[in-house]
Amino acid sequence: MVSNNLTLRHPLGRLLGNNTEIIQEGGFGAILAYAGVGKTALLIQLAIYNLLNNKNVLHISLNDPVKKVGLWYKEVFRNIVSQLGISDQQQIFEEMLPHRFIMTFEVEGFSVPKLEERLTDLMEQNIFRPNVILIDGLPFEVSQEESLLKLKSFAQNHSLEVWFTVRIHKGEEPSGIPANFNSVEYLFEKLILIQPEGKGIQLKALKGGKSDSGVNELFIDPTTMLVTDL
Amino acid sequence: MNQDITKFRNIGISAHIDSGKTTLTERILFYTKRIHAIHDVKGKDGVGATMDSMELEKERGITIASAATFCEWLGHEINIIDTPGHVDFTIEVERSLRVLDGAVLVLCSVGGVQSQSITVDQQMKRYKVPCIAFINKCDRSGANPDKVTKQLKEKLGHNPVAIQIPIGLEAEFSGVIDLLSMKAIYFEGKNGEIIRTDVIPENLLEEAVKKREELVDAASVFSDELTEAILEEKEIKESMVVTALRRGSLSRQITPVLLGSAYKNKGVQPLLDAVIKFLPCPYDTENIALDMDNNEAPVILSADSDKPLVALAFKLEEGQYGQLTYIRVYQGLLAKGDNIYNVRTGKKVKVGRVVRMHASQMEEIESIPPGYIGALFGIDCASGDTFVSPGLSYTMTSMYVPKPVISLAIKPKDNKSEVNMSKALNRFTKEDPTFKTFVSEETGDTIISGMGELHLEVYLERMRREYNAQIVSGVPRVAYRETITKRSEFNYTHKKQTGGAGQYGRVAGYMEPVDEEFVFDNQVRGGAIPTQYIDACEKGFRNCLSKGPKLEYPVTGVKIVINDGASHAVDSSDMAFQSAARGAFLEGYLKAKPVIIEPIMKVVVETPTEFQGAVLGSLNQRRGIIFGTQDEVTSCVVEAQVPLAEMFGYSTTLRSMTQGKAQFTMEFATYKHVPQSLAEELIRKAAEEKKNL
Repeated sequence: MVSNNLTLRHPLGRLLGNNTEIIQEGGFGAILAYAGVGKTALLIQLAIYNLLNNKNVLHISLNDPVKKVGLWYKEVFRNIVSQLGISDQQQIFEEMLPHRFIMTFEVEGFSVPKLEERLTDLMEQNIFRPNVILIDGLPFEVSQEESLLKLKSFAQNHSLEVWFTVRIHKGEEPSGIPANFNSVEYLFEKLILIQPEGKGIQLKALKGGKSDSGVNELFIDPTTMLVTDL
Repeated sequence: MNQDITKFRNIGISAHIDSGKTTLTERILFYTKRIHAIHDVKGKDGVGATMDSMELEKERGITIASAATFCEWLGHEINIIDTPGHVDFTIEVERSLRVLDGAVLVLCSVGGVQSQSITVDQQMKRYKVPCIAFINKCDRSGANPDKVTKQLKEKLGHNPVAIQIPIGLEAEFSGVIDLLSMKAIYFEGKNGEIIRTDVIPENLLEEAVKKREELVDAASVFSDELTEAILEEKEIKESMVVTALRRGSLSRQITPVLLGSAYKNKGVQPLLDAVIKFLPCPYDTENIALDMDNNEAPVILSADSDKPLVALAFKLEEGQYGQLTYIRVYQGLLAKGDNIYNVRTGKKVKVGRVVRMHASQMEEIESIPPGYIGALFGIDCASGDTFVSPGLSYTMTSMYVPKPVISLAIKPKDNKSEVNMSKALNRFTKEDPTFKTFVSEETGDTIISGMGELHLEVYLERMRREYNAQIVSGVPRVAYRETITKRSEFNYTHKKQTGGAGQYGRVAGYMEPVDEEFVFDNQVRGGAIPTQYIDACEKGFRNCLSKGPKLEYPVTGVKIVINDGASHAVDSSDMAFQSAARGAFLEGYLKAKPVIIEPIMKVVVETPTEFQGAVLGSLNQRRGIIFGTQDEVTSCVVEAQVPLAEMFGYSTTLRSMTQGKAQFTMEFATYKHVPQSLAEELIRKAAEEKKNL
């Protein structure tokens, strides 16, 4: 229904493999980057891809209010459709909305049991049943192992795909990846690194990349923040 | 009367429901000696607060109409506009903001920045009204002024600067420390009228010093003199900080934050001082009028009493002695006996009595100087009209008026009520541009329409009380509309050439969806339709809009392009082309996939977290699309879009569901397609109604 006249290629498809199930249900993926390089934009591209494929997306933001996240979606969506040259974008966007749910928490107020409680509530009342969960802004500077293990089992029970953004810092370790992230890295199936490279911004699969094809990097157009094939 | 314009202040007090605006205003009037006793909003003594002059307001404890009142403080003259806090009365708020120079944003120290505060703040931004914040109810348990200050920054994007810190909080709240003078201020006497200044208590000294540093630091951005003094470690004078802060707050770059508890008579006098220190006089603000003679070019007005008059009527009231018109003079002097013009109607009016209002009591004056708010008697006009001196044709910028989204059929019970009802409606529509009334052609009923359920309820109640009109009201109806969803062509020939005068006209072209209400584009080349009949074509199309062919709802969002046609030398006429256009519209419309659209409201519910699930469920049941939830420490905000048709009685449901702890605001967001199942239901109902007629 939603996607009847708009098919979108998975933004990371060329990097991770051509099957649409990029991550097994119950799997974790993470987008790593320095502040301001485009983690949230990439996350939202993933969300829009899933929405257009009739999947329900729960977007959890620990930094921004609902309104701001909503604006992000509008902006990214507008860029995507104008690239594809589609005219009735408003209608498609509106059809997408019921499949999206935004939850925002204050960082200190967020915990996995709380999230589980909220989600169970939503699912029991049949209000919203997510297929994909995006968590933007979880601080990996502190250990998240316990929470992530809980979330993993929850995700497996409900066949959810979960993506995180991880902020990396200059000057930490050689790669800049927070030490506490390295200790939970084994929980993740896919890791994507975004980093400025020369004039452009490059995407690299650190883990779970496709080995058979030659492509192991993609680029982001710095003006629209969209993944390009270049 | 004081003629020094720098000593005028026109201020508004705006805030969320129940954060205590009216109580605060009451205290201000008491301390400025305009009233001599204090009455509570929901008073036991049966008198009620002075500003809430309407009986209904007194009963419900809410402020509906913004009465203007006048008081004096430290040789300055302050006009206060009391603004309603409920979103259904937004037009009143907007209109009062138009005439204000500055505002006091009252926030509850427990509730903090709530959804209504956000709406009001957006309106203030639109009219660029500088403001200071007053964190009220610091005596209540759970008071946390620091949290509220933080919210001012995060939620409203202000740059709040505390100029006071509290001495104790909740039950211990006993006074404030003024960071400008570095003194503790206590409020003593039966009604807190005696101010005692003292040294800062030992235990708060450290915090006060730290906060003062922050304050001076924030202020230094606006004053080189102050920055120098800081760098050279000279003594920092209070006046330097005040001047810098005033500069910052006038340009809306700083929001000075004060605290207190109006109910407990604490912190009100320093607030008045701050109004004088940090809010603009009429001279500081730029007011712009549009020159009608010069293609609506903007003209900057100056608050000069020798220049020609420009004044705006912003509120009407039916008093004992006829219509009372509240007016703000922007330029020139409005004096008794003057001849002035109403720009909208072009009529000349002679100014009779000029008064200054204090809620429902008044004081006669000779003239209203520029920058001032007063009232006129016996002038017939609508609110929003501009008055000018002869020879000028300026108009104050037209105010944004939202369209009504809900309507209700009303019927008077008897003859006497009928007369009273029409009197009341006549006045309400003049006073409130969002309130409309008309007579339905089909049923003959009188229909009233407005911005929400409460909006209409309040007017019904006022008709009952103030006009003694016994009214029976029907079920509220949603303002459905029709629109088309795709482009379609039409080519219609209207021909009647059998006996008598003939009629002939052919109209061809296409229609397509558009964002505006109606667009007519004439692309006929070579005189296929003679130019004198083009207007008739447009009129023919326009006439079709009021009643859509699908379900007889008004049609919007249609663009008509005509590009061909034919005429007859003898039989073509205006009438013929109007009929041809009507036929063409019908032909094209049915092919253009018409749909019914309904008003969708943006609903924001604030609820304690334990009820979040129930609230989400209730919105979901009402066909709502939930955008998201925002968790704060103890409360949670749910944002959703819900069709208006499903929101009737929601306040009652919400209250019973959450033990009265949740509240919601609702405003019109957009029109959206009605789902198929519901559209069928509407069609079925319409058919039934037709049968019954």
